Amino acid sequence: MTRDEIFAKVVEIVKPFVKSEDALAAVNDETNILEDLKVNSARLVDIILNFEDEFDIEVEDEDADAVNTVGDAVALIEEKLS
Amino acid sequence: MTRLPFRTRAAHTFQREVGRLAAAFWVIPIAFILRVLMGYRIKDVAQVRARYRALLKESDHPLLICPNHLTMMDSAVVAWALGGSWWYLFHYSRMPWNLPEYNNYSSQLPTRLGAWLIKCIPVIRGGRREDVSRVIKRVQHLLSRGETALIFPEAGRSRSGRVEADAVAHAVGRILTSVPGCQPLCVYLRGDRQQTWSTVPARGDSFYIDFEVGELHSDHSGMRRSRDFSRQIVDRLVGMEEEYFAGR
Repeated sequence: MTRDEIFAKVVEIVKPFVKSEDALAAVNDETNILEDLKVNSARLVDIILNFEDEFDIEVEDEDADAVNTVGDAVALIEEKLS
Repeated sequence: MTRLPFRTRAAHTFQREVGRLAAAFWVIPIAFILRVLMGYRIKDVAQVRARYRALLKESDHPLLICPNHLTMMDSAVVAWALGGSWWYLFHYSRMPWNLPEYNNYSSQLPTRLGAWLIKCIPVIRGGRREDVSRVIKRVQHLLSRGETALIFPEAGRSRSGRVEADAVAHAVGRILTSVPGCQPLCVYLRGDRQQTWSTVPARGDSFYIDFEVGELHSDHSGMRRSRDFSRQIVDRLVGMEEEYFAGR
């Protein structure tokens, strides 16, 4: 799976939890999931569990601590898939 | 479980010991404020405290107190209801550590110092995951050292006035899965006059309190296991609330 494909899937998974549609329209690697997309912090766990299902990976709490931006999420998934 | 840096561990020891030395000057006054100035009463208080002490005698597992959340004084009322005041002077490790929202009390130095003294660890809810993670690791460390902590398994004070099963704080499950033997104490607290959420309970209110050790299970690992545990605690609080309203 290419990085662009992972990025597209990540955005698709995050989309239902986003409260800032404007930020979503301009989403890139640097977009902060909590601050820019206004995702509720409690929902970030659901998002990461959706990553697990979609990409068939297992994410530990400590791994998830590093996920602040969309780029962080993509990097984590790439690492788990490699 | 990650080991905390020496500096952080030393800071906790210092905070705990200063609080312990000064305990008579804050534990008793807080109980006085709750009991006399606010006029609060705990229903069947002698029975509640006897049950709590019996529970502690039966098990020396680390205890994470998980109450429902309706007011900003819940943690103080729960601690007072379970342990009283004098008892904590001689069982200081049982005075729970709390995780108040930093922005609620950070504007003035005296409140910051006061919170530090009374075993508070500041947390910024919805903050960066690394920062929240650091706080969780501090709580894990304290529990593993035989201290007691209190954390609300709902993500905030319930706006509906009922336990909100959808508002689950992941941190509770994460702590429980990472501290060997740690047990959750599900606590349901409610003042008779508490209709919905508020800053403080009504003056002169009488509180019903019930508690039980939660029995958790999950077939999963990792974050899914933590989430299962958090949900099961909130589900149990929902059940305890139903029992409360059924018994009125």
